[in-house]
Amino acid sequence: MDGWLNVGALVRVLVFGIIAGAGLPALFAVGVRTQALGAGTISGQPLSGDRRPVLTVVSYVCFALVAVAVVVGVLFVARDFIGEHTGLYILGAEEK
Amino acid sequence: MNESLIILILVVATALAFDFTNGFHDTGNAMATSIATGALKPRTAVTLSAVLNLVGAFLSTAVAATIAKGLVDANLVSLEIVFAGLVGGITWNLLTWLLGIPSSSSHALIGGVIGAMLAAVGSSGVEWKGVVSNVVLPAMLSPLIAGLVATLGTYTVYRTTRGIAEERTEKGFRIGQIGSASLVSLAHGTNDAQKTMGIIFLALISYGSVSSTETLPPIWVIVSCAAAIAAGTYLGGWRIIRTLGKGLIEIKSPQGMAAESSSAAIILLASHFGFSLSTTHVATGSILGSGVGKPGAEVRWKVALRMVTAWVVTLPAAALVGATAYGISAGIGGLAGVLVVFVAMIAVAATIWLRSRADAVGHDNVNDEWVDSSAPRPASVGAAS
Repeated sequence: MDGWLNVGALVRVLVFGIIAGAGLPALFAVGVRTQALGAGTISGQPLSGDRRPVLTVVSYVCFALVAVAVVVGVLFVARDFIGEHTGLYILGAEEK
Repeated sequence: MNESLIILILVVATALAFDFTNGFHDTGNAMATSIATGALKPRTAVTLSAVLNLVGAFLSTAVAATIAKGLVDANLVSLEIVFAGLVGGITWNLLTWLLGIPSSSSHALIGGVIGAMLAAVGSSGVEWKGVVSNVVLPAMLSPLIAGLVATLGTYTVYRTTRGIAEERTEKGFRIGQIGSASLVSLAHGTNDAQKTMGIIFLALISYGSVSSTETLPPIWVIVSCAAAIAAGTYLGGWRIIRTLGKGLIEIKSPQGMAAESSSAAIILLASHFGFSLSTTHVATGSILGSGVGKPGAEVRWKVALRMVTAWVVTLPAAALVGATAYGISAGIGGLAGVLVVFVAMIAVAATIWLRSRADAVGHDNVNDEWVDSSAPRPASVGAAS
């Protein structure tokens, strides 16, 4: 199979795919969970006086990180365009 | 107006028609899960996807002439071969749309071009090793990888949110889902509109109106390709959206987010590492994976099997249409031959469209309960007939 398939690149797609493609929803899930716990609800029943602001902050950090990842994804799609029009070559874009 | 200019105009028109079918065939890849979970209203979803495809198309800077490069002998490609290949691609896209099967638009086009090349030159015109390593192997591996990533993501998400009220997780993940689905739409516009731009660019070079040293096609090519793929996306391939969103699994928003995140990650990574793969295969693999990863979820493997069968058939079937189209066009010869095939393609398209009206799927019934069938027919029609 030599030369038929770039195995090294394939493994990298798999590894980074798991980190980004499965890691981001997992991070989002942590955000959803900490948000619910921070608001003092676990199964839809509000537990009055049991709010935990620290967890609420953690949840916003999780959501912010996911949002940042989506923005990086958009910049990644647009990286050649941005490079061509502004001269800023980011995220592995190359000058042609 | 001379003969070859008219042929050029017909090729450009056919290429834009292919771009349009590419748009509606692939709307579901990004938006089917968001529509099925109710994260977005059907009309809102296709509008958002169309706008992102339009923007994505304008982000293309280098034209992907790769659709034929490495697969067929580029020196032997003529306007007639490109034309017959496009006819093969369009015909197969329309047929699979009628059946509600999300098959790869790129494979349909590649199959069409290979078929036309075989009819024109014979086996020597096709670079078989390139076909296997650039098309066949990625097609076999990409749904598996995307499925694995989505399975892992879905499983982790459900483990993490265990014990949290479902209304809460549904609501939260709907927002996340819209973000990841939008990314898939944008990447789709950039990748797929480029393919048609590349074809029109090649046609212009072979006609002689554009120098082969140019790296960017004329602005009207970029604008018209972007508009064609966006218009197709906006039309929404509702039959395919229904199969992807309702047919494979009963999808919930955490699964939707895991599936779209997997698709977005694999599509972007693959293009970065130089793999050319089909958005459709990745999206379908991801959705299946999100069904496998959710504890206790049911996957309709019968529907999945029907899909995989169509994927395997896509290349040879589109090749057969491409070869036939080339045979007819070359048999009659010149402009007359191309015109005959062009008219025949319109007739086939019209027939398929009329046939689709019998059990039409639209934004109003796309989310109807999936009756036990492998076809996308909505329950209301099934009950009436």
